[in-house]
Amino acid sequence: MAAGVAAWLPFARAAAIGWMPVANCPMPLAPADKNKRQDELIVLNVSGRRFQTWRTTLERYPDTLLGSTEKEFFFNEDTKEYFFDRDPEVFRCVLNFYRTGKLHYPRYECISAYDDELAFYGILPEIIGDCCYEEYKDRKRENAERLMDDNDSENNQESMPSLSFRQTMWRAFENPHTSTLALVFYYVTGFFIAVSVITNVVETVPCGTVPGSKELPCGERYSVAFFCLDTACVMIFTVEYLLRLFAAPSRYRFIRSVMSIIDVVAIMPYYIGLVMTNNEDVSGAFVTLRVFRVFRIFKFSRHSQGLRILGYTLKSCASELGFLLFSLTMAIIIFATVMFYAEKGSSASKFTSIPASFWYTIVTMTTLGHAFCVCVCGEGEVSGDAACSYASCACKGCLEEKNSVAGRRKSVRSSASVVRRVQISINRRHLEHSLGILPAFLLCCVFAGCLLFCLTFLLCCHRCSRVQ
Amino acid sequence: MNRCPRRFRSPLGQAARSLYQLVTGSLSPDSVEDEFELSTVCHRPEGLEQLQEQTKFTRKELQVLYRGFKNECPSGIVNEENFKQIYSQFFPQGDSSTYATFLFNAFDTNHDGSVSFEDFVAGLSVILRGTTDDRLNWAFNLYDLNKDGCITKEEMLDIMKSIYDMMGKYTYPALREEAPREHVESFFQKMDRNKDGVVTIEEFIESCQKDENIMRSMQLFDNVI
Repeated sequence: MAAGVAAWLPFARAAAIGWMPVANCPMPLAPADKNKRQDELIVLNVSGRRFQTWRTTLERYPDTLLGSTEKEFFFNEDTKEYFFDRDPEVFRCVLNFYRTGKLHYPRYECISAYDDELAFYGILPEIIGDCCYEEYKDRKRENAERLMDDNDSENNQESMPSLSFRQTMWRAFENPHTSTLALVFYYVTGFFIAVSVITNVVETVPCGTVPGSKELPCGERYSVAFFCLDTACVMIFTVEYLLRLFAAPSRYRFIRSVMSIIDVVAIMPYYIGLVMTNNEDVSGAFVTLRVFRVFRIFKFSRHSQGLRILGYTLKSCASELGFLLFSLTMAIIIFATVMFYAEKGSSASKFTSIPASFWYTIVTMTTLGHAFCVCVCGEGEVSGDAACSYASCACKGCLEEKNSVAGRRKSVRSSASVVRRVQISINRRHLEHSLGILPAFLLCCVFAGCLLFCLTFLLCCHRCSRVQ
Repeated sequence: MNRCPRRFRSPLGQAARSLYQLVTGSLSPDSVEDEFELSTVCHRPEGLEQLQEQTKFTRKELQVLYRGFKNECPSGIVNEENFKQIYSQFFPQGDSSTYATFLFNAFDTNHDGSVSFEDFVAGLSVILRGTTDDRLNWAFNLYDLNKDGCITKEEMLDIMKSIYDMMGKYTYPALREEAPREHVESFFQKMDRNKDGVVTIEEFIESCQKDENIMRSMQLFDNVI
């Protein structure tokens, strides 16, 4: 029965008059109120601050300290008041609980101090009202996580029991500072990643002419040397991947993790190329496959904390980024349609269909400039300009706001704790396996989108040069 | 009886306000505010001295009663929903809502849909501090649902059903479906002197005064508060 309703007990008893005349037998006597005494004010002195309340208010909850006879232990005979040497701020909330029946959690209060006080007064935290319960639970969980982190970091600094060879190897992979060999391995792989990326770039630089033919890129001129370098890098990466696979505590989880997917994607093109060099038809596809070699640059994220934090931030802002993409798509479709129908009249229009006008819209909305495709008729130009510049301003503003507000809000809150965690426990196994499938997929889509962008850029260049 | 001044808006003003809210896109927060404003009608009872004269409670008893009343109903009046909800907390095992409605109508002497503290305390005064005749009168008033001065069999059946509902399904011995009807029959046999199918107030009081059980039960109310 709720505390406040107890005051209505006389009314409930009086309402029994309704069934007395119809009862077949006499009513039993009402239970006599034992120690019925007049309601009196009692004074509660909490560290000097005096609170006063009725005795019956406190007796509403007889299984707490203040409601039971336990408070008599704190009775001060000289001043005729109950003295508690506790925090008066929290006592305010506790006393309000007796008065209103609802326990609130003040946000400025430290969670463990509050819990201690509640334990002292014999009140269970589960009865915190709905208005404050979420906040209380969140704070409690954060606190527990922080304590767990601290405990972990403390434990890891103590001497570990002797580990098996596989476990030492895994620790060496995860934390290069555990032994010299691990450090050497760390730097060697880093060096080879850098070499691989640089060779990919240098391969395409035009590198002097062979007499009798046009300028060749370095890759074709010194193809044997580049092939040797590529082979060496891929061998190192393969060995590293296999060693990690062997040492991983849970191979299934390791295979599913993002870093291992990146590793596989980085070395696959080489092996596929080895298999397919003879076939001329698929060489075009093979060339495209070489683009995936750029993924080797992501192997650096094992070596860089900052990249990992970036990954976490993206993951935590995934919903906002997704919404941004969605709203951009909507705007692209709207403005492409407008452009298409505005230019439809004139025959020389480049916007032959709505998807054809997507390119123009994308380029304008991301403020790259619309120099490649030009509107033919005046109305199209004006409307296109107006629409697109409005869209680009809106998108820019939206982008900045989203990145600043959502990104900052979420990433500050989560990245701060993430940075702490990364710094405290750099050798935690969870770090490698915490990115799930869905964020990885999203990341892939983002980069596939960039890839698409590059391809369309090339296509457009090609088309414009052909027109000229 | 004094009422706090209540702000109200003309319908035109309200339409303009909602149109403005629609245009600016701020619908929900303000409408909640509106609802809140209209519902904080407060009602203050007459002074303590007047209540002391009108009822038979002492000053201290009135103070205790008012504090309990105000705690549950800060606005100063109880409406039927609130009344039913408070009463159901005392009888969790059954469905006491019908009986609570009858009680509410009995307490609400001026039939304005709300029970103020004066009504509440007047009713309690009769039940807890009145003479046996007063109490029997009050009980008759409770039973007479349409307040026409006599209890018909249908009214009595409604009351009986509501009491049985309040007891719930888990009584011992278990109650049968026919129990209310039979109970009404036995009640009318006892009370209806002239066998005309209705029980008037005189018949009721006369029959109750002859019944020892009822008289003894009525004495129990003296010690409630």
